[in-house]
Amino acid sequence: MTVPALEADALGKRFGRRSWALRDCSFRLPAGRVCAVVGPNGAGKSTLLALAAGLLAPTEGTVRVLGAHPAAARPRVGFVDQDKPLYQQLTVAETLRMGADLNPGHWDADTARRVVAGGDLDPDRRIRALSGGQRTRVALALALGKRPELLLLDEPMADLDPLARHELMGLLMGEAAAHGTTVVMSSHVVAELEDSCDHLLLVGGGTIRLSGEIDDLLAAHTRVTAPAAADLSPHEVVESRTTGRQLSAVIRPSGPLPDDWRTAAPSLEDLVLSYLRNPAAPALTPAPETLEAAA
Amino acid sequence: MTAALTTPAPPAAGRASGAPRQWRWLARLHRPALISGGALFLLVAAALVWLGGPLTDASAAAWKAYNACGFTPRCSYDQSSILLYKDVYNWTTIAVLTVPFLVAAWAGGALVGRETESGTARLAWTQGVSPARWLASRLVAPAVLTVAVTGLLTALHHWAWAVGRDRIDTTKFWHDMATFHANGTVPVGLALAGLAAGALAGLLLRRAMAALATAAVTVGVLWAAVHAAVPYLWPSVTRVSSLEEGPLGRGLLVGQGVLTPKGRAEAPCVSGGLDSCRDTLTDMGATAFYRDLHPASHYWPLQLVATGILLAVAGLLTYAAFRVLRRTTGTARG
Repeated sequence: MTVPALEADALGKRFGRRSWALRDCSFRLPAGRVCAVVGPNGAGKSTLLALAAGLLAPTEGTVRVLGAHPAAARPRVGFVDQDKPLYQQLTVAETLRMGADLNPGHWDADTARRVVAGGDLDPDRRIRALSGGQRTRVALALALGKRPELLLLDEPMADLDPLARHELMGLLMGEAAAHGTTVVMSSHVVAELEDSCDHLLLVGGGTIRLSGEIDDLLAAHTRVTAPAAADLSPHEVVESRTTGRQLSAVIRPSGPLPDDWRTAAPSLEDLVLSYLRNPAAPALTPAPETLEAAA
Repeated sequence: MTAALTTPAPPAAGRASGAPRQWRWLARLHRPALISGGALFLLVAAALVWLGGPLTDASAAAWKAYNACGFTPRCSYDQSSILLYKDVYNWTTIAVLTVPFLVAAWAGGALVGRETESGTARLAWTQGVSPARWLASRLVAPAVLTVAVTGLLTALHHWAWAVGRDRIDTTKFWHDMATFHANGTVPVGLALAGLAAGALAGLLLRRAMAALATAAVTVGVLWAAVHAAVPYLWPSVTRVSSLEEGPLGRGLLVGQGVLTPKGRAEAPCVSGGLDSCRDTLTDMGATAFYRDLHPASHYWPLQLVATGILLAVAGLLTYAAFRVLRRTTGTARG
């Protein structure tokens, strides 16, 4: 279990001559985690997932998937693209048959069928006649039927109604737990992932702003309310705001805090937003050694 | 141990049947194109058989009757057969020459462009088919089919043309542009280059319509280039004729002019029988006309060299497509 599911080192991807979608990304995701990749639209989440799936080649740096080159790991990785591309002219049943044919030797027909069956889908329906939610279900069935060790999902729940979202998330988590699958899913809605994920990658401005176990990240930060004149400097300040005589801030304490400061634990959404609002805030991406020690 | 004994080795079985499986799905995905392409092929092939058989006979008979008429004022011959033959000949020639464009448009628009535009290519690459094998499966089977269909149609066209050559007075010359190409192997080379161009355009542009147009235009440009180059693809034959005769010799013309003591020169006029022209020619010291041309016996050498060049272009385009795929996805093989 020492081989991380995903490990990036100074990873960067440039499109065209100038525009870097991602730059200098280093992080490590231990196997067996359910990881949320959070960030605003256009932050580089899709690029990161495509790099991990071996669909894009990095411009610089490296990414290792399940201890291997992404291309070599591809048979062990499931991927669901943001747009849920499927062959429009095939029926649901044909799509699953194709999944079985293209993944000889490691296709779990029962799982695939179960995922589709939950949606009350007519197997003879053509993909082009399905709703967005139904298409998501078929795309997930293809990815899960492959019985992957690592599942990469790009905005998987974006076009689902709350009921279907809840149901599919439950299904996904059930499958992942049953097979010990590492799941990495991106979203720009933090609340969507908070309950199901135990690991976080916050992507902003094309780089990793936060990475680590959600509990560790929350524990490392404190929301403080202090007199306006208080000196925050010994601590890493993520965000601070002064209103009247009061100062309210999210910090990473580097020592004991004065008694007259009121402290509270930030919520995950709080933490994410405070980092996104302050691009200059120092990133917190534990070095691989620290993470390994923690894991 | 027991598990190892009872499990039939699935990876080996999977590898052995990998390509057929892929082709089966390729055929399923492109079923409408296969059906309409097959129907078009049968239609053109049937028209060519009709042309070379009954139409040629009827037209030849009509020409025979027409020539027997001489200057008899009241004489009947079957003009409609002659016209029908010409129409069907022209349309089938156009149809045969359209095949490379259709192949290129389909390859760019449907085979690769639609998949890169909609993202189903990425779906395939994450469904146990490596990018290189995905592209290979999309090139090999269609290439075999393209060679078979285009080759059969040009062979039938050549046969239909040859059957009428000595019997129908208006049969096209072997070096008539459309007939020259439709009778030989150039369309096969063009179609293969179009297939590769479509694949490359689809990978680069990731837009079905743009790739379709680019591939079709590429075939047009390649054809124009090959057509312009054809006269120079094989050593030509020079025919020298006297000034009175004017330049002589039939075939694929490469160039003509006059011979002077100083060498070859452009002919200011070609009617050596006319006094004015004759004077101009003697003034410049011309001794004879010359004409560089290809006789009919050069037909196959010219066709084969042109096809070879097109095949080399197709090979380069294919190599470029694999390179592009490798550079985008970061995988060499697999």
